[in-house]
Amino acid sequence: MIVVDRLTKTYGSKKAVDDLSFTVTPGRVTGFLGPNGSGKSTTMRCMLGLDAADAGSVTFDGKKYSDLDQPLTHVGSLLDAGDAHKGRSAQNHLRWIAMTHGFPKSRVDEVLHQVGMSDVAKTKVGKFSLGMRQRLGLAVALLGNPHTVILDEPANGLDPEGIRWTRDVMRSLADAGRSVLVSSHQLVELSLVADDLVVIGQGKLISAGPIAQFMTQHAKSWVRVVSPQFDALATLVTAQGGTVERTNDGGDFHAVTAIQVGEIAATNNIVLHELSPQTGSLEQAFLDATDASVEFRGETGSSSEGIK
Amino acid sequence: MMLNVFRSELFKLRTTRAPKVVLICAVFLPMVIQALIAQFAFKDGVVGSTVIANVSGFGPLVALLIGVVGVLCSTQEYSQGTIRITLVATPQRWTVLLAKLVTMVAVAIGAVVVLMIGCLGLSQIIMNARGLQFELIGENDRIILAFFVLVPLMAILGLALGVIFKSPPGALSALLLWPTIIEGLIFGLLTVATDKNFFRWAPVQNGFQLVRDVLDSEMNSWGVSAMYFTAFVTVFVVLSAVLFVKRDA
Repeated sequence: MIVVDRLTKTYGSKKAVDDLSFTVTPGRVTGFLGPNGSGKSTTMRCMLGLDAADAGSVTFDGKKYSDLDQPLTHVGSLLDAGDAHKGRSAQNHLRWIAMTHGFPKSRVDEVLHQVGMSDVAKTKVGKFSLGMRQRLGLAVALLGNPHTVILDEPANGLDPEGIRWTRDVMRSLADAGRSVLVSSHQLVELSLVADDLVVIGQGKLISAGPIAQFMTQHAKSWVRVVSPQFDALATLVTAQGGTVERTNDGGDFHAVTAIQVGEIAATNNIVLHELSPQTGSLEQAFLDATDASVEFRGETGSSSEGIK
Repeated sequence: MMLNVFRSELFKLRTTRAPKVVLICAVFLPMVIQALIAQFAFKDGVVGSTVIANVSGFGPLVALLIGVVGVLCSTQEYSQGTIRITLVATPQRWTVLLAKLVTMVAVAIGAVVVLMIGCLGLSQIIMNARGLQFELIGENDRIILAFFVLVPLMAILGLALGVIFKSPPGALSALLLWPTIIEGLIFGLLTVATDKNFFRWAPVQNGFQLVRDVLDSEMNSWGVSAMYFTAFVTVFVVLSAVLFVKRDA
């Protein structure tokens, strides 16, 4: 179990991580979400002792990272797929890491096989695509067969097969009782694998808990209705406090439940062709939850005015 | 654990090209030149000095090149991002730094051993074949000891500069420009301004003084030069250690 307790990290006058607390429980995949610059990577670096926290603590099964004996056997991590010497082969990259713990060369070959890189074991890292470097990074994380895994954007640059493989690896690790913390911007992917979510914005905790709880709190829900008597139904629902949004073939009712709409329709003999409760996506819930803490926001649309 | 980290550091150095190329240059370039001298010099059959005295002329070059290996040993970790993995694998930063220092000392000593055997051995074979009368070491055994002092110290200095600067250009500039330009300017100006020989307090010149076959009477004694240069290197090692332990990776 990872326990992050009141972690704070400041760079100059900017608080990158602000009094952040959450736990990552064994047997579950915990998604770590936040907009760019929200402090996810800083938190992960502080967890691993790479950056010194100004306050607070992080423990792995009750121990600080720096106090772990043979740390790679406790915690495996992938922070940046680019963290490998471009002139060294994949096998040698893993070997020097394995040597720090006295792992045999056979273990290196095992993890290379596990991540599907046996055929390119002797190829230099500089010749790898981003996806291959991600796989190598995962091999580093899995090298010590750890019971806790911390992954920062592990699916970045992977092809669909690689993304599914990464998801399966995380799932199987969690199913084997290990703690998995994974940050990702690929929310659809994360929604398929995460059990819990930790959402942060501007270094502060926005939400922590099961993914279903997050969706209940932050995802929009509405009722989709298709009916030949839609206008009549809309008038009745509005009178009950609901709001209406017209679509091509019907409309969406907000602030009412599907049961309420169904009963109104039945009481007033209104024919329904469709009555379905709808829930927003994880992406929409995430964007709504973090909207106030987005630091870097781009503009959409072309600005042709300046080009004449 | 320390032994494992040391083995890992040695392996890292072995599996990257740049340090190997520089190391090969540091060891084999003087050997080739010394072999050419042994083959083509001394046409009149008179060998004026011991062979080791000739080899001593390579001292500053070998020391600077091994210093470059030291720089690469540390800066490659930062430029390639592997420092994060290194510190995740071994969170005890003192252990990592110590392993790197031991690695560089071992590499430097190994390089000097090969260099000495190569230069002296080749010279002996070639000059014997030419029928020359010569002395390999004679009373200049101090030079051999000097190589074993200067070269490891320069390797450590390069490593420390690499840790301090983190980038190869900065650390290499500091290592190479300090003895060649900065010491000349600073201590040269001080010498001109005060009419006293300030070069005797130029740190790296004191280091280079160690391997000279004839010691400059205006410089410090061999022992003082050795201690002075060691103290100079120690300052950078301490500074680099403090930064390495305190700084975010």
